[in-house]
Amino acid sequence: MAQRVGHRVEFDLRDENESAGILGGVLPGLVLFLGALATPQGPPDFQREVRPILAEHCFACHGPDEGQRKAKLRLDTFAGATAEREGGAALVPGRAAESALLARVASDDPEECMPPPKSGKARLTEAEQATLARWIAAGARYDVHWAFVAPQKAPLPVVERAAWCRDELDRYVLARIEAAGLAPSAEAEPALLLRRVTLDLTGLPPTLMELDEFLEEHARDPQGAYRRALERLLASPHFGERVASDWLDLARYADTYGYQSDVYRRVWPWRDWVIDAFNRNLAYDQFVTWQLAGDLVADATREQKLATAFNRLHRQTNEGGSVEAEFRAEYVADRVNTFGTAFLGLTLECARCHDHKYDPLATREYYALSAFFDRGDECGLYSHFTDATPTPTLALPTEEQELASATARGALERLEAELAALPEARTSEFERWLASAPRPPAPQPVARYAFDALADNHFENALDPAHPGEIYEGPQLVPGHSGNALRFSGDNGALLPGAGEFAHWQPFAFSLWLRVPERKERAVILRRSRAWTDAGSQGYQLLLEEGCLSFALIHFWPGDAIAIRTRGEFPLGRWVHVAASYDGSARAAGLALYVEGVRAPWSVVRDHLVKPITGGDPGPLALAERFRDTGLAGGEIDELSVFARALSDFDVAQLAAAPEAAPSFGELARAAQRAHYFLAVDPAAAELRTRLTAARHELADALAAVPEIMTMADDAPARATYVLRRGRYDDPDRAHPLEAGTPNALPPLPDGVPHDRLALARWLTDGRHPLTARVAVNRFWQMLFGRGLVETAENFGVQGTPPANPELLDALAVDFVAGGWDVKALLTRIVTSATYRQGSRTTPALAEHDPANQLLARYPARRLSAEQVRDQALAASGLLCTTIGGPSVKPWQPPGLWSISAAGDYVPDEGEARHRRSLYTFWKRTVPPPNLTLFDAARREVCVARRGSTNTPQQALVLLNDPQFVEAAGALALRVLTEAQDEDERLTRVFRRLTGRAPNASELVELRALDLDEREGFVVAPTDAAALLTSTGLALPEGALAADWAALTAVASTVLSLDASVTLR
Amino acid sequence: MDSFLDPTRRHFLRGSALGLGALALGDVLGAQEAGALPHFAPRARRVIYLFQSGGPSQLETFDYKPLLNAKNGEQLPESVRRGQRLTGMSGNQSSLPLAGSLFRFAQHGASRAWVSELLPHTARIVDELCFVKSMHTNAINHDPAITFFCTGAEMAGRPSMGAWLSYGLGSANRNLPAFVVLVTQKPVDQPLYARLWGSGFLPSGHQGVQLLAGPSPVLYLANPAGVSPLARRRMLDAAAKLNQEQLEREGDPEILTRMAQAELAYRMQVSVPEASDVRDEPDEVFELYGPDSRAPGTYAHNCLLARRLAERGVRFVQLFHPGWDHHGGLPAGMRGLCKETDQASAALVVDLKRRGLLDDTLVVWGGEFGRTNYSQGKLTADDYGRDHHPRCFTTWLAGAGVRAGTTHGATDEYGYNLLEPETDGVHVHDLHATLLHLLGIEHTRLVYRFQGRDFRLTDVAGRVVNELLA
Repeated sequence: MAQRVGHRVEFDLRDENESAGILGGVLPGLVLFLGALATPQGPPDFQREVRPILAEHCFACHGPDEGQRKAKLRLDTFAGATAEREGGAALVPGRAAESALLARVASDDPEECMPPPKSGKARLTEAEQATLARWIAAGARYDVHWAFVAPQKAPLPVVERAAWCRDELDRYVLARIEAAGLAPSAEAEPALLLRRVTLDLTGLPPTLMELDEFLEEHARDPQGAYRRALERLLASPHFGERVASDWLDLARYADTYGYQSDVYRRVWPWRDWVIDAFNRNLAYDQFVTWQLAGDLVADATREQKLATAFNRLHRQTNEGGSVEAEFRAEYVADRVNTFGTAFLGLTLECARCHDHKYDPLATREYYALSAFFDRGDECGLYSHFTDATPTPTLALPTEEQELASATARGALERLEAELAALPEARTSEFERWLASAPRPPAPQPVARYAFDALADNHFENALDPAHPGEIYEGPQLVPGHSGNALRFSGDNGALLPGAGEFAHWQPFAFSLWLRVPERKERAVILRRSRAWTDAGSQGYQLLLEEGCLSFALIHFWPGDAIAIRTRGEFPLGRWVHVAASYDGSARAAGLALYVEGVRAPWSVVRDHLVKPITGGDPGPLALAERFRDTGLAGGEIDELSVFARALSDFDVAQLAAAPEAAPSFGELARAAQRAHYFLAVDPAAAELRTRLTAARHELADALAAVPEIMTMADDAPARATYVLRRGRYDDPDRAHPLEAGTPNALPPLPDGVPHDRLALARWLTDGRHPLTARVAVNRFWQMLFGRGLVETAENFGVQGTPPANPELLDALAVDFVAGGWDVKALLTRIVTSATYRQGSRTTPALAEHDPANQLLARYPARRLSAEQVRDQALAASGLLCTTIGGPSVKPWQPPGLWSISAAGDYVPDEGEARHRRSLYTFWKRTVPPPNLTLFDAARREVCVARRGSTNTPQQALVLLNDPQFVEAAGALALRVLTEAQDEDERLTRVFRRLTGRAPNASELVELRALDLDEREGFVVAPTDAAALLTSTGLALPEGALAADWAALTAVASTVLSLDASVTLR
Repeated sequence: MDSFLDPTRRHFLRGSALGLGALALGDVLGAQEAGALPHFAPRARRVIYLFQSGGPSQLETFDYKPLLNAKNGEQLPESVRRGQRLTGMSGNQSSLPLAGSLFRFAQHGASRAWVSELLPHTARIVDELCFVKSMHTNAINHDPAITFFCTGAEMAGRPSMGAWLSYGLGSANRNLPAFVVLVTQKPVDQPLYARLWGSGFLPSGHQGVQLLAGPSPVLYLANPAGVSPLARRRMLDAAAKLNQEQLEREGDPEILTRMAQAELAYRMQVSVPEASDVRDEPDEVFELYGPDSRAPGTYAHNCLLARRLAERGVRFVQLFHPGWDHHGGLPAGMRGLCKETDQASAALVVDLKRRGLLDDTLVVWGGEFGRTNYSQGKLTADDYGRDHHPRCFTTWLAGAGVRAGTTHGATDEYGYNLLEPETDGVHVHDLHATLLHLLGIEHTRLVYRFQGRDFRLTDVAGRVVNELLA
């Protein structure tokens, strides 16, 4: 196991007679350096030396991927590699000379040699062949990949410089430094140390006052000063902002949906939750559990549900004509991939199309995992014509909004109870009325269309001549059920303006005659709605679906809607009476469908309507067609009536019957008579219903005002899970349905609980999980050292970089879990260590023996992150606005960038929004802010666990020319101009604010010379100074000379661009 | 070696990290990072890709289908469609009427290539062109399709073509980026976005640099108002000295790189405006490219810029001209788009040729997919639309190493399917493989290790289409 092997390294190095073959895990440079210590006879370590060779050269064709396996040979397992084969087993343990593998990799025959030349894979070096030979000779032992075995703490190594260590972790680091014959570096100078830890923990530079206090205190009590500084920093609200920045990369957080239209979406409340969670030090296991499954936690709070927005932050599209199922499959896959990268450190996505080529992850396991993330009532496309939040959603009301909707709901519930009690209370009125042998009239519509004649494409509305109907694209007038009817082509339709403009808090109903020529998979009969998926179907609609009649009111399909569908298929080839009725209750129980005058048995398809159905400019009520939907091809419609109330069974029976065959009220069942009376006759019920509608309106308005956010919910009708062959949404392997599950190479799911996301989160955060804690501590290490102990923070699999210090990684992971997943404690521990506090100077010895700084015998200097570069400039200049959270902001950016995106112009914010911290900068995925992406900010299109760190000419251009940075330089100049009279003091203040340290004597000379030269220049060219001042928008205090300020601005701008400013040292 | 760098470098070489110092300088000079490249002698030194965004109709440009005129208005036979998927835009239409092109076709040049009347200038250079009429792709919607074309993958996060070339071949002009992007400035429905020229998981320095119309052709290139070149020079000199102090203090070779990058930025402040300032071009050049070429932000102007950048050694220039997405009103739309692009596209080939640049410059023209042979929306006597069609469309190549005056591949007489998909089909991956081949790169060997896997522009596919090569 990794820790045992690593542990042996320490002792081996103490004894030169022992084998050092196991050193292979250390970087090549070090191996060379230690070459004198090594004797080549010992068995090589499988994890560190052998598997990387096999993985690199062999596994692509002879690894876990069954589908691609060549010659039925697998070399990633002992059984596979030693299996008897024609021509001899690939591996014969103990007998290198008899192992076919060795012969093949050594062969020069292009037909024989492995890897085959056409594979593009490199030949094995002689050293690699020798390693394999020694491994086979020693028995060809296979070990489970280290990352799939739970971490254990190795005994602390013995070190010579024990006094240097401040924490156990230093011992693990020091052991390797000493083993390499090197020594750790001295502690960094105090000013740089404070700058380092302040930027690392808050993302902001220390202020001059903080620096001065620290230096003064440090001189007296170095340990106490550092401890108190840490306490201050960890208590700062900027701590959460700093740590959140990295988490936003993993969560692929952005303010827009991505893909081509890339519309705004309101997800910043989730970002603020992350900041807050880090600030109050929510335990990491809870932090993860809430984001994965906060909605499924018992008695889930709003906050816990909000956290699950993590899973919805992937890109989404609304591109016209896209196939909904294709993109929903993409979204689910993105959740799985993100889960893999962020929590498991595994490249699950490789297994989406084929078994993983290196790690034990089968495609069926990939899809078994996907089942956890595929239970929400969502649509693969968001709405183009409305701003509906894609479901599932969480309402995020303000306190006032919460109160308003609670009040409205209370009033409504009281009225509903009253109405429910009314029939009981007014039984005698009903009886009296019934005794009068009533013959109730047919219900009175608000609009009626007979479709008997067309004039100039218009047809009559018998009840409202001012609002005739209108055909478009030429439906035909044909003989109908009564007189004429309209026949539709599927591409044409009719508009019925003035009728049917109902909200979901109003009752309404329709009666019509319909003739359908053949079974319709899908056809629009009637709708008030702009479009199908392009509008999330917002509105109401009467459709034929899979041969059946359906009726729905929709805010966003499918999660915010009520819908019913008849169970029997709709009769074909003849005139059939259809009625649809809705009672205004916003419940599926308030919907009814009638075929041929009687209730058609139906099923409830959806029963969750909250938000309005009238947004997105739905236009008038329309027949037989809808934008990008399937029309009623060959269908005919006749005698349509629109009602502004719900219909009773008796109403419909009357509407459906021929005049001579009108049903007799007296023959009705008592319950039907009673229902009709209280719906259509009783005056008290009518009065109550009027108040009820008003109360529904009130509640609807209250709910409409409440903002929502996309979250997770397992609220969709059960979906079966299948392997999607080659990842294709339309090619499921239906013969083999899958259960939700986790990969076999990892521990099993807990027993006795439903296999849902909560079980998955519990599984993940079980302290014995081999990956979760390692992956987490590795990223926090990366945050503080620029590079993780596993350099490939996104990949702990076989092809990932082996840990530079496995004992250290495991000790941190084990302690992290044992300490209750305490993030602040972990970070405190690391920044308190002697390792972290070293100076960053690269001595010639270190440059020679450890140029890449694998051993951490010095602090690994690194460029500030994109956010830190800008935030430091803002903070140093005093411009920074320290408001935390809220909607994202738009600081200045070069004009015109959004013009390629059809998104309208970028309108920069005014005022302090220009100077907010960079994590609040509006993140438009297709055109992200250039001054951040040029400094390697992640694009936020997919989950990213590790950013690049480049050094490009365009970074110099940003630092020197970006008006945001020029403004900061000018403000910093202005600041020191007013703070100090002495020019050296001014220059020193500029330098300290940006680099943390005071300039040395020769640096001060340079700064002075630049200041003087630039001042002379600006004195000679006063218009230049004025132009610079104008461009920054700053104003000089009375008596200040523009040339003085401009020169200082040039100095500040220069210092901003220095290595000492942009690099953490 | 730049004189500025010399003393630093000598100083640095006295230090101990010789290897790293040399590496850093290599980066600065834009040398390639991807191992021994090119793999073999290249035919092309650089590429100009004229990307026609939105999906130009092959049926109104190059793929002449008289049968569609004969059967105008008849339904697309199921025997032709074969159940293949349509977009949700025309997929719900009750009928799919075949639409013949409204435009006349004629054969041109010694190669007798068919070109429609919409492209008179292109018609004159057909003997320089190699038409690929058997292009096909996977995606049917814009975003996945254009992302696929530009990066070799439908999903986000992969490096673009130009980023791969920058990574593989570096820059031939250390004062200009290796990969420059020029987007026609016009209001459009189908947006473009930085992902299409992004660096994906490659180091961000390989992303395409968008050249903008206006005073600051590269973002942040211009000094702030009031900062003269002299003032800036003083700043840079002071920064160099201060960074030198820091280098002595820290011994970190990265400091050296940062110093050199600042100097490169300074040189770009001269070299980029010089390259993008066309005022020194003679009138006859503007006449060649057409009247638009004097107006910054137009396609014609960008074609002219592309030639200037090619002359100066930029490896990959990619133009984007949006607006070809003619779901409806196609005849009018095509008239407009062809007028915007025809003369300048042809002029670029002519201009490169007369300057001797066409021998080692590859020019590619095409969009992300083609358009359907049936009308989206109503088919009338003088109007129709066409929906997205990934199964066949036309691209042309010209210049370095390409078989001029030829046509490769063909579609069926309905213009709906490839005639010989197995043998003649050119998939996006195949085009990429061929493009890399012309640049001396074996596409299976230009790889970058990311997430434990070697990634390629051509993923796990791609065939060099030898039939296109001279």
